[in-house]
Amino acid sequence: MLDRRQFVSRGLMTCAAVALPAPVLAAPAKPDWTLGLGDVLEDIPLQSVTRLHGKPPGIAGTLYRNGPARFRRGASAAGHWFDGDGLVRAWRIAGGEARLAGRFVDTPKRRLEERLGRIVQPGFGTPAAAGAEVAGPDDTNAANTNVIVAGDRLLALWEAGSATALDPETLATRGPVTFRPDLAQMPFLAHPRVEPSGRIWNIGSGGKAAFIWKLSADGTFEAGQMVPLPMASYMHDFTATERHLVILCQPWVVASSRLPFSQSMAWQPELGSRVLVIDKDDLTKRREYELPPLFFFHLGDAWEEADGTIRFDGCFHKDPTFALLGAPGLVEGRYEHSERPELTMVTLRPDGRADLAAAGITAEFPRSAPELAGLPRRQTVHVGGYRPDRPFARTVGIWDWERGANDSFNFGAQQLVEEFVPVGGYLIGTTLNLAAKATELHMLDSRRIADGPVASWRSAVALPLSFHGNWLAA
Amino acid sequence: MLKLITLATALTGIAAASAITVPAAASTADTPAALEVAFEGIESPTGQIMLSVFDNEAAHDADGKPVRVAAVAVEGDRAVVRFEGLAPGSYAIKTFHDVDGNGEMATNPFGMPLEPFAFSNNAKPEGGPARWQAAHFTVTAGANAVSITIQ
Repeated sequence: MLDRRQFVSRGLMTCAAVALPAPVLAAPAKPDWTLGLGDVLEDIPLQSVTRLHGKPPGIAGTLYRNGPARFRRGASAAGHWFDGDGLVRAWRIAGGEARLAGRFVDTPKRRLEERLGRIVQPGFGTPAAAGAEVAGPDDTNAANTNVIVAGDRLLALWEAGSATALDPETLATRGPVTFRPDLAQMPFLAHPRVEPSGRIWNIGSGGKAAFIWKLSADGTFEAGQMVPLPMASYMHDFTATERHLVILCQPWVVASSRLPFSQSMAWQPELGSRVLVIDKDDLTKRREYELPPLFFFHLGDAWEEADGTIRFDGCFHKDPTFALLGAPGLVEGRYEHSERPELTMVTLRPDGRADLAAAGITAEFPRSAPELAGLPRRQTVHVGGYRPDRPFARTVGIWDWERGANDSFNFGAQQLVEEFVPVGGYLIGTTLNLAAKATELHMLDSRRIADGPVASWRSAVALPLSFHGNWLAA
Repeated sequence: MLKLITLATALTGIAAASAITVPAAASTADTPAALEVAFEGIESPTGQIMLSVFDNEAAHDADGKPVRVAAVAVEGDRAVVRFEGLAPGSYAIKTFHDVDGNGEMATNPFGMPLEPFAFSNNAKPEGGPARWQAAHFTVTAGANAVSITIQ
């Protein structure tokens, strides 16, 4: 069985001593958006944030978010946006006030690189450098992609290695999670699908097979097994209906032993895309659908109709250019390969046909109400407004699939918009204000997104952009 | 993000090889050397330490044939194995702690090694077994001793 890790490991045996490229000399002034890929040097102690305007609704809880926040050490730098150390942030809201704390996940990778004062561990787009120590996937685990609540712990998620348990109150790292002794060092995607009951499904992906994880609501291992995939696709996300797991396989496939990981994959559009649908109650019951070639990171929740039709949406790119070339350039302050993700509905029909229908907007980080996960819905919460002149989203919106209409708010050129999550009748999320050089927290009324935030807070720190997070009600 | 299948394969190869009877003194050197290898930092006092000794870079780095193999039962936090009749020269060792004593490196469903392993010079793995370049050491005529920390 081949997968990315094997290729990387083989490559490493010959390339371990490859040095990082020399830093760019005499760099011109960095564009303002590079604030979104800055370095946080210390944990962020719990602190009050300033309310800018509005009367917040009576919502109490914590918005946990995770994202890479350390890209450079000395003269060395991560080679990709996805390879910075995970900083978990907690935005604690109560009584109309908000507080912020941030703490790095204490991973073996971070410990080693702190000690050496250099970036050495290989990653998604970062080659290994002299001094790398890799005895298993978790030695390279950046724990930087998502954070979920599972029982009495937070799980900081990456994708090619274990979840990392954190204390929900202090954000202190408890360590990598081994769900069963023989399941140490296993891949665990950053996008588990959580049923309204709380049950957690996830995938560990590697080459032409995936491990299906089934966990209880409190994060206890219930079952797991390997399933074959139609092709050795890169997989960042999957989706699920109430009864089925839905695994979209894109034609960006394991192809060589080149380093780093992203360079070992090949874009083979002639393969098309496949959708594997598996019965949650019997993982051997499966069917496949064919789709045109597409590239994606993120999917929305799926649902099933009475006649067996399955629908889900995704944010589809025409190819992996952004992942391969665009995101690495961002770390160096270059925006040469713009991102244009198209919100698209996928329909899998009972007769075996499958088709795509684009909404006609750019969108990323699709979310929907957690109480409707796997059930019919008409709305997709997203960020969007992607334009070629600057990276990252400008808007937050709710696309209505029945009306074919978008209710969105544009934060403007001076704000980098991060993921928003639905909480009751509101959306809660963060932006990085480039003018104020500060990260902000916003709440919007889901019925009136275009009106803008009903309440906003500004922190005293400019945090690099986070990827994903989740809300825990108090 | 690394798959250490090559490592698991290399280390499991130790198990297969150790089933073969190894001559007690295979060396043809005029002045044979003895090598004592101490394994330290053992966390579980069970099973056995399995090891392969290589005397050349090609065999070591390409998972080729070891010059000696051994297995030593683990009863505490330290174990020692002694080789006699080695030719003086350069050697490197690959070893793992077969904690459950089944003679094989335990792996997860993707083939990642799950039992502690180590290399001579305590050379670090970099996504695969340590290379000869980092792991080799010199054995001279007479008594020699090295120690390896099992991690």
